[in-house]
Amino acid sequence: MRFASNLAAETRELCRYHELVRNLMVRDLKVRYKNSALGFLWSLLNPLAQVFIITIVFKFVIRIGFPNYSAYVLAGFLPWTFFQMAVLDASQSILLHGPLLKKVYIPREAIPISIVLSNLVHFGLALLVLFVYMAVIRIPFTAKLLLLPPLIFFHLLLTMGIGLLVSCANVFYEDVKYLMTVCLNLMYYMVPVIYVLEQLANIPPRFPWLYAHRDAVLAIYQLNPLAVWITAYRRILLPPVPDVIGHAPLSLPTLAVAALLSVVAAVAGYAVFNRYKWEFAENL
Amino acid sequence: MPNEVICVEAASKRYRLQHEGAGSLKNLLLCRGGRTEALWALHAVSFTVHEGETVGVVGHNGSGKSTLLGLLANVSRPTEGIVEVHGRVAPLLELGAGFHDDLTGIENIALHGSILGLSNRRMEELTPSIVDFAELGSFIDTPLRTWSAGMVMRLGFSIAVYSDPDVLLIDEVLAVGDEAFQQKCYDRIADFQRQGKTILFVSHDMEAVSRVASRVLWLKSGRLLLDGPASEVVAAYQKAAGRVD
Repeated sequence: MRFASNLAAETRELCRYHELVRNLMVRDLKVRYKNSALGFLWSLLNPLAQVFIITIVFKFVIRIGFPNYSAYVLAGFLPWTFFQMAVLDASQSILLHGPLLKKVYIPREAIPISIVLSNLVHFGLALLVLFVYMAVIRIPFTAKLLLLPPLIFFHLLLTMGIGLLVSCANVFYEDVKYLMTVCLNLMYYMVPVIYVLEQLANIPPRFPWLYAHRDAVLAIYQLNPLAVWITAYRRILLPPVPDVIGHAPLSLPTLAVAALLSVVAAVAGYAVFNRYKWEFAENL
Repeated sequence: MPNEVICVEAASKRYRLQHEGAGSLKNLLLCRGGRTEALWALHAVSFTVHEGETVGVVGHNGSGKSTLLGLLANVSRPTEGIVEVHGRVAPLLELGAGFHDDLTGIENIALHGSILGLSNRRMEELTPSIVDFAELGSFIDTPLRTWSAGMVMRLGFSIAVYSDPDVLLIDEVLAVGDEAFQQKCYDRIADFQRQGKTILFVSHDMEAVSRVASRVLWLKSGRLLLDGPASEVVAAYQKAAGRVD
């Protein structure tokens, strides 16, 4: 009970500073897009170039693509990039704002939260580019798009929770950033970006052990909420992949577990951050 | 008797000095986090400041002045004891702390306002007076990286005083401005005093301290050595400093 009322008080305090969060977010976007007329386009260049090269490699070199493979990669790559960039930016945010936090009182969580939100705005703009691409290659827009806001909400909760956690840990342990680079690199392969979930579900019998346990493998894989959300973006935005690739329905329990874990990540990240934030000033 | 604005009761602040990168996961995993040494930056400091007082804080480097300001600004909390400040506190901010190099003066003012807890609307109303006081002219629309250190400090001072805080914390930064602007700052501080606002003034410049403050706290090695009328404490401090030299 005390835990809940403490968090509620912290949240009220943060709400009192909602304009600060917005101003910090706007500043972050301004600084990011400033100094170049093509600011936003430049920041899109990296994901687009990556998706381009992934498509080339998988379609023509490894030859395991399927129609509109590039759209599936893009629909996975953009939510992944949002997660990765938001967590990376957040992890440095408290250290970067050290001089400010040592001088003046603001709710410290305003800083990582505003950074994650500015990455969210950027993600939103990138999704618009994906919509344009979908229109160009004539992928129909369906009513499933209405599920996009709740999906983004849970994806944001997860990202926010992890971002708060690493921004806090980074103040006390300087090797967090190296550990995080390794984790994010591994994570890239543990979420369906360059492949789709259907391929994982379709384990061929020539791997007998994996084949025998294929349901368990899929279930464990989907305990990772980020993997579930990335697949969900594809299901909402794009038509099903061809039957030969495989079948992997996102069941309601899977989605419920991912939603629960995302909420837990957000609450835990926020609680841990608030628990340690009064020790920041001494360690910056 | 006017209201108590600042109330510090037996406040102590302990820092842990870490040796050889204790802040790494390796040491955490090897349970070597224990190689720390406690340092009391403030030790059982007690004083109260009433509304309208201007209090100077003097002391050598490492005597606990910055730690005290940090506690008053609610940036950190005392390890022991109580620190209470009633009303809104505004410290003077510098480049790197609150100001962003790539943003223009106007953009920085807006951001800065919300850092000090003011609404965007209030900040818009204040902007003309802030720009006017800081004498920034057309620089106000250029990014701060094109400014001189003095200009940034002028903007910082200007925002802090126009944000109309209940307690103003001034930490040594006035030294950056040229003489004319320093004079203007002192005039503004005098206005502030006439309005019955509370000021905490930290400086090594004894002349400035005696000029601004009516009462002075002398900190030495984290302890409050002397608390009294400005002239007496400054004289004692200078006498002690002279003996050391």
